[in-house]
Formats: sequence, C-alpha cells, structure tokens
Amino acid sequence: MERLERLAERLRAVDPVMPSPGAKIRGWNLVLAAVEQSATVRSRTHPVRRLVLAAVAAAVLLVAGAVAASADSLPDSALYPLKGVMENVRGALAFSPSDKLAYHLDLARTRLTEAEAMIARHRLDLAGQALSSLDDQLDDAALVVQAEMQSDPALAASLENRLVQAIATHDQQLAGLEGQVTNPAAIAAITQARDRAAQALQTSNGNPSASPAGNGKGPSSSPHPTPKH
Amino acid sequence: MQPLAKAASDDDRPLIERVRRGDQDAARILFERYFDRIYNYAYARLGRAEDAEDLAIDTMTRSLTRLDLFQDQGVAFSSWVYRIAHNATIDHYRRQGKATLVPLESATLPVSADPSELAVEQLSNEDLHDALRALTDEQQQVLILRFFQDLTAAQAAQIMGKSVGAVQALQHRALGSLERALHGRANN
Repeated sequence: MERLERLAERLRAVDPVMPSPGAKIRGWNLVLAAVEQSATVRSRTHPVRRLVLAAVAAAVLLVAGAVAASADSLPDSALYPLKGVMENVRGALAFSPSDKLAYHLDLARTRLTEAEAMIARHRLDLAGQALSSLDDQLDDAALVVQAEMQSDPALAASLENRLVQAIATHDQQLAGLEGQVTNPAAIAAITQARDRAAQALQTSNGNPSASPAGNGKGPSSSPHPTPKH
Repeated sequence: MQPLAKAASDDDRPLIERVRRGDQDAARILFERYFDRIYNYAYARLGRAEDAEDLAIDTMTRSLTRLDLFQDQGVAFSSWVYRIAHNATIDHYRRQGKATLVPLESATLPVSADPSELAVEQLSNEDLHDALRALTDEQQQVLILRFFQDLTAAQAAQIMGKSVGAVQALQHRALGSLERALHGRANN
C-alpha cells in the first residue's frame, strides 16, 4: 500500500506537459474560425427560428390541406365555412364582367350540386339554404349583365346569353330533382328556386319587376327560360 | 511543478451562455481555461506533441461549436470537455489502428519479488509516461485525471461515468498495474 502511495505521489510530481505558445496561438486561431463559422450557421438556423419555421410550415400545410379538402366539402361538413371563405377570396379576384359572371355561375352550379347532395341525405334545411344561395348567385350574375347594358350592349348581350344558358341548365336539373322528391317542403323549395332563377333572368333584361310566372306575356307558358342559340 | 489552471464548473455557465450568443471573448476565456489541460491530457495519452496539439484543438473546437448539445444537467462543462477529449483519443487510436487497449493483466510483464527495489523517486517523467501508456484505456484515464490533472475522485467519476467508489477501485488497480509495468521496464 505504501508503495502505491509513493507511486501516486511521484505521479503528482510529474511536470505537466504544456503546449508551446505557437501551438496555442494556432489552436486559438483554428478554434476561433470554427466558432465564427458555427455562429454564422447558428444565426441562420437558430433553434427558435427553426421551431418557428417548422410551425409556420406545419400551419401552411395544415391550411393548404384544409383548403384543398374544403373545396369539395358539403354544407354538413365542418370544413364548409372554409369553402365559403375561399369562394369569397375568388370573388374578390374577379374584376372583369366576364370573370364576375363566370364566378357567380360557377358558384350557382356548386350550390345546385350541394342541394342535390343534401336532398339525397334528407337534410332539407341545408338543401333549402343551398337552393337559396343558388338563386342569390343567379341574381348577382343577372346584376352583372344589367350593369353592362348601358355601357357595352354587345358585351351585355353576350353575358346575358351565357346567363340564360346557365339558368336553363339549372332549371332542367331542378326540374329533374323536383320529379324525384316527394317531400312537400323539398318540392316547394325547388319550385321557389326555379321561380327565382327565372326572376333573375328578368333582372338581367332590365325588368326586375316582371312577374316570374304566369304573366302570360312570354312565348312559352313556362316561366322558366330557354337559352338563345 | 507548473500547475494547470483550475478546472472550473460553476464559473463556466455564464461563459457558456455568452458563447452561445456568439461572444468570442467568452470563447477565448474558455479556450484559455481548458486548452492547456486538454493538451496535457492528450499528451499523456498519445505521447506525441503534434498529436496532442491536434487532439486539443479538435476537442476545443468541438466543445465550443457544439454547445447546443451540452445540457448543463448534472454534468459540468469541464467533464463534458474531458469526455470529448477521451472520445477524440479513442478516434485517434482507431485511425492509427493502434491496439493499445490490451489489459495489462494479460501482458507478459515481469513482477519483481521485491517491489522496494523500484526507486520510484528516480524514475524519469518519460519512464512514467511510457509505462502509463502500457495500461488499459480506463487505467490510463483514471491516473491522468487524478494525478496529472489533479481532479478529485468525484470529478473523475463524473467524466468517466462511474461511481466514486468504482473510480477509487480502478485507481488502485491502475497504480498496481503501473508499478508492474515499471518493474517490467526496469528488468528489460
């Protein structure tokens, strides 16, 4: 034991081997360069910044995914309100009369599809809302046509023809739908939608007060439109 | 004997925070605090000034540029630096293909019948270094940390990831092995 103690004491007495001043200067220069480079990299990708970037990326992906998923959502879906927001954004980006008309007709077509789906699911409340919204879109489309009547009659005529064709198509679909349902409330909603669609057409003609049905002035006994070809 | 700078622990924390914020002055202070010690450790392990310099620079570079990996939770910065130095030593051996981890117990070193024949006070530093490098990796490490680096058993235990008792037992065995190695050198 004493031998080992002596050996330990001898080890403690060994002079530490120190680096030369040159080695230390070289060492510091190399370490400093690495520290500077590391600080540059760290400033570019600071952990907090990385976290924020990751969170933003995740949020963007989440929103993009939700937006994509909402595009085909139906009124009974949780994502449906987001669909409305995105539609409003689209509307804000439609500037020319042609684009505005296309926008309203597209939304009208979408509302009709939604109404059919809701009727199939026996969600008559939501189907009624979709049909009402369909008519709102047709009304707005009619106003777009009417606005061009004075300034550009040729363009107005072109737009009106597109509107008439769209309303005729919708009316055919509504008529088919009307024949498929037996629920009186659903039938009433569809009938009302058809009447309002016809009224929208009157509005586009600059005659908003015209009675949509049974006025006896048109060539057809039906209040519903026939597209001009 | 020229003393090595004291290995700080609590004093390191504010400096570490400053280095993390890009403060080069703080990095310089930590470099000054540890470079000599790590050089000394590396020289004791490797035996060549050039290798010791490379290893010390490598250790300090890793220590000061990877502070994001250092979690001050129960392990002092000094222990972290020594661990990096130890790992760098192992890497050096691997690169060199040097099989130095042969346990002394399995080596064919003669044991003197009369240990008192060994006049330890007369041994040169070089003899001690050479004999030391014949020991196992852990034995070298514990003797260097305890006697060359003047660390406590607790500090060595933290660096080596062992209990204090295990370090003390290892130290005892390492001294015995060193004595036998020195006898072997004396008899050759």
